[in-house]
Order: sequence, then C-alpha cells, then structure tokens
Amino acid sequence: MIMEKLKLNIKIFFEGAYLSYVGLFRWLSPSTYLATLIFSPLTQMLFFVLIGTYAQGTDKAYFYVIGNALMNAAMSGIYGVTMSIGGDRWDGTLPYLFGAPANRMTVFLGRAFMHILNGMIGVLTGLLWGWLLFHIDYSAANPWALLLTILVTTFSTSGLGLLMGCIGLITRNVMFVNNTVYFVLLVFSGANLDLATLPSWMRIVSNYLPLTRGIASARLIIAGHSLTEVLPLLIEEFGIGLFFALLGYSLFRWFEITAKKRGTLEVF
Amino acid sequence: MTAWQRIKANLRVVFMAFEIELRQSFTDAFVLFGIIVQPTIVAFMALWMLKDQVANYAIFVVVGSAMTGLWTTLLFQGGNSITGERWTGTLEPLSCAPAPLRAVVSGKLLANITQSLLSLICCYTFISLIMGLPLTIANPGLFAGSIVLTVVAFIAFGLIIGSLFILNPDVQRFQNGLEFVVYIFSGFLFPIALLPMWTTPFSYILTPYWAARALHAASSGTGSDGEIYFCWAMLIVFSILYAIVSKFLFKSILRKAREDATLNMQ
Repeated sequence: MIMEKLKLNIKIFFEGAYLSYVGLFRWLSPSTYLATLIFSPLTQMLFFVLIGTYAQGTDKAYFYVIGNALMNAAMSGIYGVTMSIGGDRWDGTLPYLFGAPANRMTVFLGRAFMHILNGMIGVLTGLLWGWLLFHIDYSAANPWALLLTILVTTFSTSGLGLLMGCIGLITRNVMFVNNTVYFVLLVFSGANLDLATLPSWMRIVSNYLPLTRGIASARLIIAGHSLTEVLPLLIEEFGIGLFFALLGYSLFRWFEITAKKRGTLEVF
Repeated sequence: MTAWQRIKANLRVVFMAFEIELRQSFTDAFVLFGIIVQPTIVAFMALWMLKDQVANYAIFVVVGSAMTGLWTTLLFQGGNSITGERWTGTLEPLSCAPAPLRAVVSGKLLANITQSLLSLICCYTFISLIMGLPLTIANPGLFAGSIVLTVVAFIAFGLIIGSLFILNPDVQRFQNGLEFVVYIFSGFLFPIALLPMWTTPFSYILTPYWAARALHAASSGTGSDGEIYFCWAMLIVFSILYAIVSKFLFKSILRKAREDATLNMQ
C-alpha cells in the first residue's frame, strides 16, 4: 500500500513537472525558447560585465561573469516557476487542480523540477559565454563541485520561485512582484556588487536571500577552492531554498483552504 | 478638408489617444516597475560600480539609468502599442476608423514616453536626496532641448518597433533581449568605445544613442555645445527617417487588416 502510494506520487511529480513545463513552452517556437533562455540572459550579462569592466578594468570581468551567469538560475527559478504555478490561475485550471485528490506537496514541488534543470543549463551557458567572450579561465575549478553549486543554487532560487508563484495566486500584479524580486536579487546577491563594500544592513538582508552563497561558492570554486571549503555555504544555500519552498507550500495550502471556504478560487 | 483642418483633426486624435493611454497605463504595475523600480535599482548598482571611477559619475548615472527607464518603457509599452490592440480585439475597428492609425499610435507613444520621463525624476531624487550626492546639470538649456528631441525621436522609434512587432512576431520574441541590447549599443552607462568596432554602426543608427550622448554631454558638461548640436541634428535626421519608414510599415499593417484580413493571424 505504501509502495503503491509512493509510486503514484512519483508519477504525479514527474507528470506534473513535465506537463506544466510543456504547458508553459508548448505554444512557443524554438526561437522563443532561445530568445528567452539564451539571448536575453546573454545581453543582461554583457551589460553588467561591461559596466563593471568600464569601472574596474577587464581583470575583474570574471567577477561579473560568474555573478551574472548564476543570475540565470534566478531567471529560470523565479520567472519559470512563478509562471508554472500562477499559470493555473490565468488558464482557469486551478479548480481542477484543487479538485483533484493528488498529493499537494508532490504537485507543488513538481512545478519547479524542470525549471531547476533549465536553470542549470542557463548557468552553464552563461559560464560558456564568459569563456568565449571574456576568456574566463575555469581550469582551476573542480567541475563536480561547480555542478553541485549550480544545482543547489538553482534549487534555492526555485524555492523562492515557488513562494513567488503562490503570491501570484493572490495578486494580479505578479509580473511587478517577480521583476522587483529579481532586480532586488541583482543588488543583494552580490552578482554585480562586492558585498563587503555594501552597508551593513544590506549585508544582513543578503544573508537571508538565495543566490548569495551560491554566487560566493561558485567564485571560490572557480578560483580553485575545494568542495570541502564551500560545503558550509552550499548547505546554507540549500537550507534557504528549502525554507522558501516550504513557506510557499504553506501559502499554497492556505490559499486552497481559504479560497474553497470563501468561494474565491478564481477571484482576481 | 484643408491641410490645417486635417492637422487639427489629427492632433485631436493624438491627444485623445495620449489621454486614454495615460489613464490606462498608470494602473499597470508593470509600467510603474519600468519607470520607477528598475531605473532606481539600476541607478543604485551603477552608482556603486562606477563610484570614484568615472568623472561626474553621479549625474552620469542619473542620466544613464533614466535612459534605461525610457527605453524599457518604449520597448514594452510602445512595442505593444499595436499588438495590444490585437490582444483586446480592437485592432480591426481601429484600422477601419477614419482616424489615421499612425496618429493613434503616436498619441499612445507620446503618453508612454512622457510617463517614462518620471524615471529621470526618480533617479535624480534617489541619488540626490537618498544617496546624498550633489547633482548639477552643467547646461540646463541644452539639457531641456535634448529632452524634447529625445521624446520626439523615441516616438519615431516607437512607430517602427510597434509596427515591426505586429508584422513579424518573430522579432517580438526577442523583446526581452532587445532591452539590454539597446542599453549596451546606446552607451547609457558606459562608452561604446568598449565595444568591438564592428558594432559602432549599429549604435549610430539608434536614436537612443544620440539621445544619450546629447543628454550626457549637456548634463555633465563633458561635451562642447557643437557636439550637442550635432547630436540634435542626428536625432532630427533619424526621427525623420524613422517616420518615413514607419509610413510604409503602417501601410502594410493596414493592408493586412483591410485587404488580406490576415493581421490577426500570427
């Protein structure tokens, strides 16, 4: 019985992950996919790397390349996951979802799965651009440690995305919230600014956000540090992601219960 | 109808479209993001990154960040000015109305650009009051003149973008990426000399480049009056050129709507 339940939940998880992803991109052509996941992150990275190198010289390009490559995790984690969850409301499928007996945790977390993979591809592409355009040297990096860092960072940003997606269920201005959070991360995560130079209150805020430790860890690994040295950072990054995902899940459940009680499931 | 009467009638259409667009877009939180939140955050980051590295960096950042707000608004609001009509199902009635479509879209673009000038005020206030940095505009007269020409040039550019996006949805798919491309090619926050030489012609054909150059020169006093007048001349030349090109694009839009009836097909 337990085995059957487990099998069913795994099936729901992967089916939900796949279908929500297909639902998000099905109507898009490959050119849209490339424009969204390759072209757009590249131009954003170029912009900040060029400002950075204008101010501090080309020697510092690696700092901005790594920071902005990791930001691609947030792009996928925040926008993609939010659209996957919030999309149910816009497309009118929320009543079916909440009417189904499927395990909510499985359905909820499944929404992030494909975007974690997507985010990882985005980060790797960003790093590749850094190598091609700015000749960033990754030879000192332990590839497995770097891969683990990317995985943990995409997971943590997707955790934040799950929370944002739930906020998308209770607000009409989801794009405003999403974009603001994304840009706040650009400042507070240390992608473009050296956190040590920021005012102390900003450093405190950045400590509670995903990405901060992921970016720091990626910079250390690329500089030649070992996995053991960055492991504490990665554990904390994972913990932050888990916290946001669970917070999002609680909100998701609260929304379902309240909306069912009040009959406000599709009220905008 | 005399030429004067036609101008008066068109101006009325422009101002009506201006008013309606302004009322509509002020309730859109995404527009407020583009005008207020994004330029302010970009200003903060640029300020921190360029601190003590560039002469007159504070006013340079104010102008550069505000330009990002102007362009983002033009790209997303102006770019969707015709496509938005398609989404709401009003494009066909609009294209069959006796009022010229170009006048309607110009009014909408004027509203978007006027609104986005708020980003200049936001960045100025943020850097001056919150960050406490002294800001002086070296040449206020030329700066004001540059702003007026920037608005005109951006409307002309918006006519091209809006019509291209509806005629070719493939171009619109790159809308998000185009945001930063123009930030880069127009040298909003760093000189285009940092870019490879082959990209320079792309900068030269973009009115945001000439607008940014005129505004930076007038605000920080780094350019001569002659350089600013040259930028003005380029803004005027390209605005006329864009207006001519947009005339053909709008003709094609109207033909697709009226004769082919294929405008709604993507």
